[in-house]
Amino acid sequence: MSLTAWIRRARTPEPVPVRREIAVFEPADLFDIEIKDNPETNPVLCCTGDSAGAAAFNALWLKRIASSGRYAAAVSVRGQGGTPAADGGPEARAHDVVQAAVTVPRQTVLIGHGEGAAWAALAAGRYPAAGLVLVSPQRFPKQLPKPVGEPPILLVVSESETQSKEVQAVADEYGITPLTFAGAPDDVFKGAPAEGLLDAVLSWLDAQKR
Amino acid sequence: MQEYSSQAAYDRGEAVCVIGAGASGLIAVKNLRENGFEVDCYERDTVLGGLWNPQNQHSPLYPNTHLVTSRSQTEIPDFPMPDDWPDYPSAAQMLEYLTSYAKHFGLSEHIWYGSEISHLETVEGARFEVVVKPAAGSAARRLRYGAVIIATGHHWAPNLPSYPGLDDFRGTVMHSSQLKDPSRLRGKHVLVIGGGNSGVDIACEAAVNAASCVHSVRRGSWHLPKYLGGEPSDYALARLASRPKLLRRFLTDRILKGPKRLAQRMGIETPGHGPGDEEPVRNGRYLEHVGDGSIKRRGEVARFDGYDVAFADGTEIRPDLVVLATGYQPKIACVAPELLGGTRDQPAPKLFARMFSPKAQTLAVAGLVEPGVGVLPIVHWQTHAIARWLQVRKSDPERAESFKLQVNAESSHNAVSAADDSPRRRLVVDAEEYLASLGRIIDTLEQEPAK
Repeated sequence: MSLTAWIRRARTPEPVPVRREIAVFEPADLFDIEIKDNPETNPVLCCTGDSAGAAAFNALWLKRIASSGRYAAAVSVRGQGGTPAADGGPEARAHDVVQAAVTVPRQTVLIGHGEGAAWAALAAGRYPAAGLVLVSPQRFPKQLPKPVGEPPILLVVSESETQSKEVQAVADEYGITPLTFAGAPDDVFKGAPAEGLLDAVLSWLDAQKR
Repeated sequence: MQEYSSQAAYDRGEAVCVIGAGASGLIAVKNLRENGFEVDCYERDTVLGGLWNPQNQHSPLYPNTHLVTSRSQTEIPDFPMPDDWPDYPSAAQMLEYLTSYAKHFGLSEHIWYGSEISHLETVEGARFEVVVKPAAGSAARRLRYGAVIIATGHHWAPNLPSYPGLDDFRGTVMHSSQLKDPSRLRGKHVLVIGGGNSGVDIACEAAVNAASCVHSVRRGSWHLPKYLGGEPSDYALARLASRPKLLRRFLTDRILKGPKRLAQRMGIETPGHGPGDEEPVRNGRYLEHVGDGSIKRRGEVARFDGYDVAFADGTEIRPDLVVLATGYQPKIACVAPELLGGTRDQPAPKLFARMFSPKAQTLAVAGLVEPGVGVLPIVHWQTHAIARWLQVRKSDPERAESFKLQVNAESSHNAVSAADDSPRRRLVVDAEEYLASLGRIIDTLEQEPAK
């Protein structure tokens, strides 16, 4: 975040505060003595453009992330799931993601899916995320802030999306090559494609030593 | 050096030493770590949070201390406070915030508590040798660092005025930092000396708790309520800063007209300069207490006489308790004043761009400013710039050279005006100009190297 961007933000009205729904799954919640919370790893915070919000990650994601020894959380931004609707565009939703990120006990990795990838990318422009994972990004803003604290960035897209202009633009913006997963863009929450995708994301995170 | 230890200093390589684990120190540690530096932070007390921690034995907190700047203008830019907190969080919330900041970024493992830096000196050119004195027990250690950042703040050494007869005064006299418990005011006749934010806040506490409250103020100052036009005042005023100059002046005058007239009605003269040139008093309750008579304003104290206190206008009162809310002396004890651009007789630091030592390239001070706005964001950008500078110094000597010229130029922008008497006035900067200057410094340090 540049100083000028901060000055501009500090002088615009803050988005209306809402009571955010945050789903949390800690390794201890699995009741499995084999799995311990590993404080060396960074927690993970997920958000999605899906209207179910945090609940979308309940089926598979949170448990799977927690069983890798990481603190797993998901947030419903305004208007999703259990979070009341309130005014504000993508910036306000990014604000919700940042507000959720600072309640996580340690520096967190941000995972965004669909439109949520755009909010996560905006949030990474004002919060030093430990990592930024963009899954099938949609409606990405034209003007992207530079991520604070130079986090490692991963872009994962379905096979059908690899050629899309949007994905190309995001990949060029960050100078990274997208990773592809088998299946349709909507298959990210359950089923075999989702598990493959999640494994790829988790092993990438482990490789970052974050 | 024999008095410390005959052993050679332990060399920490390129690691950076941060002195103090208060708000500024924590931000410095986090930003240095983010830029890839090893950091050792030394805190003389046993707790973090500096002045915001009431457990700190030197804590300057007084009863019911709240922020005087609003949440959105005070929070650390990359770690916002929870948005369901009030506009003006309390000291306890501030401590909670700083603690969660330290926990979130894993800062505690880099902090050495109960360790005071008793001395530091340059060695091998731009490196530093520091002497760490533990609070108890074992002997002092000597370590070498690649750079040192002083983040000790300037609210530790009470500024105690002297009045004739003060030593023989029969009532109780204490500095604002000693007044930990508001019940000490209850039922007493209280005299508060000092018209800064602490003096005004304590006078308001006394107005509702004490039997009577007299407030002695030497000179006029700006009195702003905590809200202007339905918004936190600092936010409302800062928003006007982006307008063109003439319009800005017009709108500022309009928004300040009410508070100004109210202050005049209460017999307070408003200084000629705008509220941005000096830390204004930010308290909405004070003028109402003056208006309902529970605070009586008087001029300067002339002398203390037994049980009585005489004012310059000839009146006398008989207080039980005198609170000296006279602020603090900025003091940096661990380093020779020459290293920070001062002299033995004039120890006040004269720093480049308010943060870099003019004598040593790798010595910097964080948070030694009074910007009249929230200090935490300023410290964030200062330490961001310092961390970038320490990187550039190593990797890119050419850019480092052009940077040095720029910092020199920036320093002349916010030169100190000579006529200032009070110690904290020397730390005052215009927030708008200083932020712009920090922005230019960071731009120079971050621009792509010329190819």
